[in-house]
Amino acid sequence: MANQTNTTANLADDLPLNAEDERKIDVVKHSGLLLIACAIGLIANWVGTGTSPLVALPGMAVLYVACIIGLGFARFVPFYLPSVAWVSLIAILITIPGVPGAAWVSEQVEHLNFLALATPALAYGGLALTASEFAIARRSGWKIVIVAICVMIGTYMGSVVVADLFLRLGQ
Amino acid sequence: MTGKPGAATGGLYLHILVLAIVIVCELIGIQRLSIGLGTVIFLPILYAFALGILLNPAIFKASAKFLSKDAVKLSGAMITVAIMPFIAKFGTTVGPQISKIIEAGPALVLQELGNLGTILVAFPVAVFLLKMGREAVGATYSIDREPNLALIADKYGLNSPEGAGAMGVYATGTLIGTFVFAIMPPLVHGLGIFDVRALAMSCGVGSGSMLAACTGGLVAVVPDQKDIILALAAASNILTYATGLYVGMFVALPLTEWLYNKARPSERKTA
Repeated sequence: MANQTNTTANLADDLPLNAEDERKIDVVKHSGLLLIACAIGLIANWVGTGTSPLVALPGMAVLYVACIIGLGFARFVPFYLPSVAWVSLIAILITIPGVPGAAWVSEQVEHLNFLALATPALAYGGLALTASEFAIARRSGWKIVIVAICVMIGTYMGSVVVADLFLRLGQ
Repeated sequence: MTGKPGAATGGLYLHILVLAIVIVCELIGIQRLSIGLGTVIFLPILYAFALGILLNPAIFKASAKFLSKDAVKLSGAMITVAIMPFIAKFGTTVGPQISKIIEAGPALVLQELGNLGTILVAFPVAVFLLKMGREAVGATYSIDREPNLALIADKYGLNSPEGAGAMGVYATGTLIGTFVFAIMPPLVHGLGIFDVRALAMSCGVGSGSMLAACTGGLVAVVPDQKDIILALAAASNILTYATGLYVGMFVALPLTEWLYNKARPSERKTA
């Protein structure tokens, strides 16, 4: 058992545990990678919805700028919030009715299908899995698979029940 | 291993391969399978992830010729980069719906506590049915995405039983989470019991791919509610970024510890 847990710790070396340390990220390098991601996203949107990349380009450009600003905030603002949280907040802010340009932004991003934008990330995700991650999943065995499914069902259904209850109470 | 690609070419091959996967998956598009209970939804993101795994150098040896270790590492970095435009697009759905979001405010905030439902469902299964040891604490206290895993690493270390449990659920969730979250919400919707807004705001569990799968599935079965589904899911996902770690640290983990000690008094830690 001691042996086994030791190797598990070694396997953990390349898990994305330090992913939340965004204070050191290189915003310039990331802006290049983001450009690649946005280009693939435009093509995904094109194939998936038939919307020409030229039509969807202004919307994608807005999203790109929002992402860069979000990355910059995560890097330079003195308190920590993950970049995805900053990106979300910026995106919300620029689409609230009454904010200058909000209607234009909403109209432009409407040309982008949200699900098509997630497809590239999942493709990278499948390719990024390391031998260790497969090894951990295999080692953990069938019990963990059952528990993991219960965890996902429990997390989701717990929220659904609470949310439904309070939505009813609020009516 | 002759002609091992350099870092730059390896990166280029990676992006081209991803582009190819994306085109194939978007061409297949959303597929529906009606079963008695409701509709099972298959989304392009599922095919993309599955194809990515099939072509992963650790699984498909021929890929190792094109994708170096560095390219796999770059792929890991690209997940967080590539999910950002998606998250941004998601955010833009909130602004126009902001008054409806505020209207649903109390439910939206309190459903975050509903995430503790994992303890209610998974803990008894792990401890009483499967007779797991302290692995159960790490495995069942949360959905074990990155911040939750970091908390376990910090508190117990990953080479502890708790760490092994958390990592097992993390790895399994990474492998099958997208599938579970694409298939479960449309089926729950099919029961006809719950408000679709409740189903939507529960999609934000802290993982981008689970969020995408969950909302994608719901929008496929209730297309006329698309705008509000996206907005509520996005709002709850942002709330989870903000609250998830703290709920885990101050409520879920102490509660799971306490339950474990109650369930197995003989094992109580003396340290």
